Amino acid sequence: MGTSARPRVAALALAVGVVLADSSIVVLALPEIYRQLDTSVAGVTWVLISFNLVMALAAVPAALVARRVGPGRAASVGLAVFAGAGLACGLADQLSTLIAARCVQAVGGALAVTAALELLPATVGSERRAATVWAAAGATGAALGPAVGGLLTELVSWQSIFLVQVPVALAAAVPILAVAKHEAATGVIEPELRETGRPHLWANLALAMVSASIAAALFLLVLLLIEGWRLSPIEAALVVSVMPLAAILSGKLADLVPDSRARAAAGAILVSGGLAGLAFLPKATIALTIPPQILVGIGLALVLSALTETALGGRAPQAIHGGWTISSRHAGVVIGLLILTPIFTSDINQQRHDAIDAGTAVILDSPVSPLLKLDLAEKVSQQLESERGKVPTIEPAFEPKPSDPVERAEVEQLQGELQDQLDRGATHAFSTSFLLAALLGLIALFPIALARRVDL
Amino acid sequence: MRREGRLSGTALIVASVLASLLLVGAYLAAGGSSYEPKQVQDPCDPRPWSDPQTLGQIANQFTISALDGAACKLGVSRETLARALATPEARERFTERYDIDDEKLARAVRAGLLRAVDDAEEAGALSPLLALPLRRALEEIPLEQAIEIINDAQGFLSDAEGFLGPASDLLEQLLPGPGLFR
Repeated sequence: MGTSARPRVAALALAVGVVLADSSIVVLALPEIYRQLDTSVAGVTWVLISFNLVMALAAVPAALVARRVGPGRAASVGLAVFAGAGLACGLADQLSTLIAARCVQAVGGALAVTAALELLPATVGSERRAATVWAAAGATGAALGPAVGGLLTELVSWQSIFLVQVPVALAAAVPILAVAKHEAATGVIEPELRETGRPHLWANLALAMVSASIAAALFLLVLLLIEGWRLSPIEAALVVSVMPLAAILSGKLADLVPDSRARAAAGAILVSGGLAGLAFLPKATIALTIPPQILVGIGLALVLSALTETALGGRAPQAIHGGWTISSRHAGVVIGLLILTPIFTSDINQQRHDAIDAGTAVILDSPVSPLLKLDLAEKVSQQLESERGKVPTIEPAFEPKPSDPVERAEVEQLQGELQDQLDRGATHAFSTSFLLAALLGLIALFPIALARRVDL
Repeated sequence: MRREGRLSGTALIVASVLASLLLVGAYLAAGGSSYEPKQVQDPCDPRPWSDPQTLGQIANQFTISALDGAACKLGVSRETLARALATPEARERFTERYDIDDEKLARAVRAGLLRAVDDAEEAGALSPLLALPLRRALEEIPLEQAIEIINDAQGFLSDAEGFLGPASDLLEQLLPGPGLFR
């Protein structure tokens, strides 16, 4: 690769990363959006679902448009639309406006991402290398999304997530504009038509299943950390950054194994194993989320790149087949969210109901005086009912502490027991959803087994 | 261009399976699937007293028995009733939700207090000499007072002892066994 090509490769990778990060970047901001826009849990989930759904539907048509108008122009226009819609998202003061802007953002993003795949081979020198760069940029963006979103939400606001994307997308568009100008000058509209092969059914199906599983991993873990364990978005962002870090650090592992099918299978197994680990957390402790996250991160790096390479391998035009992979991935995210959202919403509500009764039972069975325990039972249940479904800290219900040292010790012990009961209850509420997500990852093994082996 | 591979695909899959099993196995061994929310007991089931030694401990179990008895009568859990009796606002929410009027609530709370006296007597924590006048006193007690007793059983039991006046000291000396309160 020549030195002149490097800025363009970086710009294309940045464009792919930014757009694909958008499928998960709002995850950590959802609780804040939920509160500020005064909406419902189901409503706020559509901020995430709408983007992924439109990406799934628009990816292949966008690829066709990119080939018709020229990938340089398509990528530039796509990034401009993505940036403009991002600005609208950042300024939205109603949920409907935000969701509409997210849909437009997805259309622009689909155009930019599929066009980038058409531009990359000429820039990096080979289609295979282009597919690797494209897949890696996408996987990194998707994995980093929640952490970046959480940091911005905590440090600035949820709106800043979208506003920051505007200059980034425009900066990515600058080196691509030269290609667009060249296309305009030379009139290159449709490159050689050498269509080879239909979309890779099994690889794309596996991508959908695995993406559903990974999206669930990110979404559920973030919800568990913020809503269940009461972490701030910035703390949750730091915790979930283990996943992308593991993915980035294990990127070289793919180079050691030439068999793409084996890499895909191993990745799907690791993602499922990590999710099963999250389903069986023995304690509500951040440290215990790290080993499962490492497994999911390594699995994510292996499986997404392997399946994308398999789906694109030996096929042309790349943009169209890349469009199919984007479509599969985002359809998978939508399916995962649609399957799991009602399940964990119901589990969390049930858990809250159980927690109120279990908390009262713990208080009533404690040795503290009846006068104090009935007062505590009421205050704790009020605390649990508050904060719109969030599992709160029960500390305020125990203030002020009794002045008598014996009674004070009893109350403090009771508080500890109760908080432990509530934390474990909140953690347990996510178990079924994590297990279902793990199952989705394992189901991906069937299409992976049926996919043709591609050696790198 | 073919990449230089140093690991076989099978080895990678086996390593992935082992890593996953190791993680899940370790978490299960550490109690990862053992969580069960604390179960709410049926208030109509007998709840044996656990050998209370002090007036405070007796009062504690007295409250629990009274809540059980009242909750059983109303067909709700002991926990729900405990939250309802904590404040007037909570009581209002409770009576609206379960469509219970004050008279019905009063009957239930009185029944609960009588069950508490029975349980205390059966456990040997309360002398029959004190149980008898307590039952009489509780049978017609107004709702507000009945709730106050559940909230402050210790104060009520102390007052009951004091109510017997100098006779209580005499009875304590004459009675073999536990006395008025153990």
